[in-house]
Amino acid sequence: MKQQKQILLKNIDKPNQHTVSVYEENGGYKAIRKALQMGADEVKTEVKASGIRGRGGAGFATGIKWGFIADPEKSGKPVYIIQNADESEPGTFKDRLLLENDPHATIEGMLIAAVALKSHYGVVYIRGEYAFPYTRIQNAIKECYEKGYLGDNIFESGYKFDLVVHRGAGAYICGEETALLNSLEGKKGQPRLKPPFFPGVRGLYDMPTLVNNTETYAALPFIINEGAKEYASYGTEKSTGTKLFSASGHINKPGVYEVEMGYPILDFIENECGGIRDGKKLKAVIAGGSSMPILRADELKGVNLDFESLQAAGTYLGSGGFMVMDETTDMVEVALNIAHFYTHESCGQCTPCREGGHWIEKIFYRIARDKGMENDMDLVKSIANNIEGHTICAFGEALAWPAKAFIEKFPEEFRERIEASIKGKPLKKEALNFPILNH
Amino acid sequence: MNNTQTTDSVEMVNLTIDGNAVCVPKGTNLIEAAKLIKKEIPHYCYHPDLSVPGNCRMCQVEVEGAPKLLVGCATNASEGMVVRTQATSEKVKNAQESTLEFILINHPLDCTVCDQAGHCKLQDYHYEYNAKPSRFLKEDKEHKVKAEVLGPNVILDGERCIMCTRCIRFCDEITETSELGMLNRGDKSVIAVNPGKELNNDLSGTVVDLCPVGALTHRKWRFNTRIWYTKQTDSICTGCSTGCNVKVAVRDDKIVQVKARYNEKVNKEWMCDEGRYGFDRFLPKSRLQSPVISEEGNQIDDFSKAAKTLKAMKEEKITVFVAPDLMLEEYYVAKLFVEATFKNARVVISYKKRPLNEVQKKLVSPDYAANYKGAIYSGLVGENVESDYDNAIMDIYNGNTDSIMCIGERAIDFGHHVPDLYSKISELKNSIGILSDSESGLVSSLKVVFAGRSVLEKSGLLVNKDLLLQYSERVIDFPNNTDPEWRILNKLSKELGKEIVKATSDRELTLAYLAANSDLSEQTIKSIKREGVSL
Repeated sequence: MKQQKQILLKNIDKPNQHTVSVYEENGGYKAIRKALQMGADEVKTEVKASGIRGRGGAGFATGIKWGFIADPEKSGKPVYIIQNADESEPGTFKDRLLLENDPHATIEGMLIAAVALKSHYGVVYIRGEYAFPYTRIQNAIKECYEKGYLGDNIFESGYKFDLVVHRGAGAYICGEETALLNSLEGKKGQPRLKPPFFPGVRGLYDMPTLVNNTETYAALPFIINEGAKEYASYGTEKSTGTKLFSASGHINKPGVYEVEMGYPILDFIENECGGIRDGKKLKAVIAGGSSMPILRADELKGVNLDFESLQAAGTYLGSGGFMVMDETTDMVEVALNIAHFYTHESCGQCTPCREGGHWIEKIFYRIARDKGMENDMDLVKSIANNIEGHTICAFGEALAWPAKAFIEKFPEEFRERIEASIKGKPLKKEALNFPILNH
Repeated sequence: MNNTQTTDSVEMVNLTIDGNAVCVPKGTNLIEAAKLIKKEIPHYCYHPDLSVPGNCRMCQVEVEGAPKLLVGCATNASEGMVVRTQATSEKVKNAQESTLEFILINHPLDCTVCDQAGHCKLQDYHYEYNAKPSRFLKEDKEHKVKAEVLGPNVILDGERCIMCTRCIRFCDEITETSELGMLNRGDKSVIAVNPGKELNNDLSGTVVDLCPVGALTHRKWRFNTRIWYTKQTDSICTGCSTGCNVKVAVRDDKIVQVKARYNEKVNKEWMCDEGRYGFDRFLPKSRLQSPVISEEGNQIDDFSKAAKTLKAMKEEKITVFVAPDLMLEEYYVAKLFVEATFKNARVVISYKKRPLNEVQKKLVSPDYAANYKGAIYSGLVGENVESDYDNAIMDIYNGNTDSIMCIGERAIDFGHHVPDLYSKISELKNSIGILSDSESGLVSSLKVVFAGRSVLEKSGLLVNKDLLLQYSERVIDFPNNTDPEWRILNKLSKELGKEIVKATSDRELTLAYLAANSDLSEQTIKSIKREGVSL
């Protein structure tokens, strides 16, 4: 089993990798030169053959997504290429590492996509709070313009590609691709109704638009350099390549790790994450970022870190925000914390998510503060079911899934709290000190 | 049941909704398709003439083959589609119940003091599709701004708002003035005026009509009555020749609310503030009552005396001024009257063009003449309404007219109501008029005056600028000792020897007119009222 640092993080720790000269010394900007020679169709075929799936969370096959975008020479419509670097999912910080230490890899990935889709204009949409990564990507773009890697005649090929950076204004929802497009257009960051607004067909300014995650772009140079076959030799049949995981929580070695798809989850905790802190027992893991259902320790056996295996276990790979919780964790507080986040970030556009999110938070709050009521667990599940599948974007699921999962996976903790408060004998657990009532 | 809407050029698709076959043009969404078989798919944010945001989630329907419920507003009918609404799908019913539950948890539930109660979509749908006790028991509702003034005409209650964004989209897409936006996120979201702006465009009151709940209210009319104490009439606005369809609520003979009524061909569901808030401006400020004949200072109530005056006028050079807001039937009666009574008369209609700003141009017509097209259609006046009218006024000043007759309060444009003209008129040989405002300077300058009725006090046919025939229903009870213009003309004619028409009411007159007009003899008042008839 191949493990660490093969594709995405190969050069991440090398000094000054963020500069164009060091990036090139380490083999950078070879792939784009190759891609320019290969031509659009061959690049597309190669990326499709690699089987790479989007790294932003949904895991949609990148090659197929590219296939939705009409050839601008035939449609007469310009194609926009967008890097979604609005990484805001709690527990996810992999794009940040790439943007800080290897920004040129993501730019090269965008250039490859641009060549494949005949696009001449790209945008890096970066999370507003990412101040340092912003300076790094901005600087990298500046270097590229100076070198002639971006601009009217990239790599002296006669091909034109311009790239700008746009900073978000702090909304989680702008990571949703159509909300991102609205935000870029200067509108309020709210997701668009699908259909008809699939970005590949009607994206930025109603033109065909490709939105891919930072990590997806960063993997493209390898696919072009080494070939789709080599890339697909990593990972499993349906989840090819390697994936970055942002490991955090009660582990000895938090950080961003690159592992091959299909890597056993328990091995990952033991080896890469260095095991649970202070020799405590593992209680639960959220493998794909806070919007994904939680898994209990006893559910982890035989589960691997790839799209299919996690789905079979009842959760999703998501963005790879890998959060580990040990036995000291109060699940009611975790549920409340996560519900609070999604309540705060709900864009307010469609009814179920706008109203239901805060309702769930209020119920978790009263359970956590010993004011729970008898049917609260069923009520949360019912509200979550009423939100799920009834909203404009996937945020409804992001809000409903964890809420339901906490109650389904740890019912005894909720029941204990509720029963104690009904009897008037609060457990007086120490409340976590974060401001929750009025965000 | 098989409802079919056929068009020649458009591709048609067949689908079933709750088992009923429907055939609609390609591109029709499911809400509109369901309307064709008289089924309502409940909705808040969708409006046929605004963009489709799909945010209220009320119109979810089950479509066979789709993994999730789809919103009817954004789903177009396609060939062979099988749609199930709340009537046949338990899933849809549950989704609607939960959507209503979500909307209501933070709603203040202040129906008892809300102007919208009684004509509120939230109430209606709750009774129809949910009507379950609340499960939101313990915590406080979200509190928002209660009385935010958005502009000179409209005020917002943020708590009642369900964030359907119809008002925002109206200002973005129809008036293109973009005054409104949404602030904050999640259940803190609130409608607000964009920085540096206020909601003061010329159609601003329309947002209140569009608001499906009681969040937006008219500053002029809020808190003045419960809607069920009012008499509501489907009528036509007579402010200009656009002929907006309106619903007017009246209580104690006072107009307490004017609402635009949907008519795709005329005003969609829009209305201008001038027409709406000034709807009662056609009512006389001070009522002229009982026929008045002034004869050397004496007032005599006598048709036979007036007939004498008319006989004297027969050979004279007469100008007949007619108001631009008489009914089509009245123009027809006036035409017959003039032909029978005068030998040398010309008829002009009071018509003045006015400048419009960009927002007004989207709806308003550049005149104050609701029915001038009707006057032309009836053959009473010629096509050159404006120049004919100006010349007629000039002729009074120049002495080129022996006598005049004024039919209707607005027979002479208010812009010409000046003492100079009054004195010129009083110097004429003879003058007779049918007016309704006793304070008008014309009352004392005309030799014979009858008390007519304002346009709001009679029913009849109006022809708008696009030659669409519409039926305007009487909005306000007519006062005693007044008669509609047509009846006075009819009575005068009778005195002169020949009755023009045998009708005792506005309604009978309309029916008689329709029967006499070969183009319209198929029509009934009801069929015209539906959405107008193109002439």
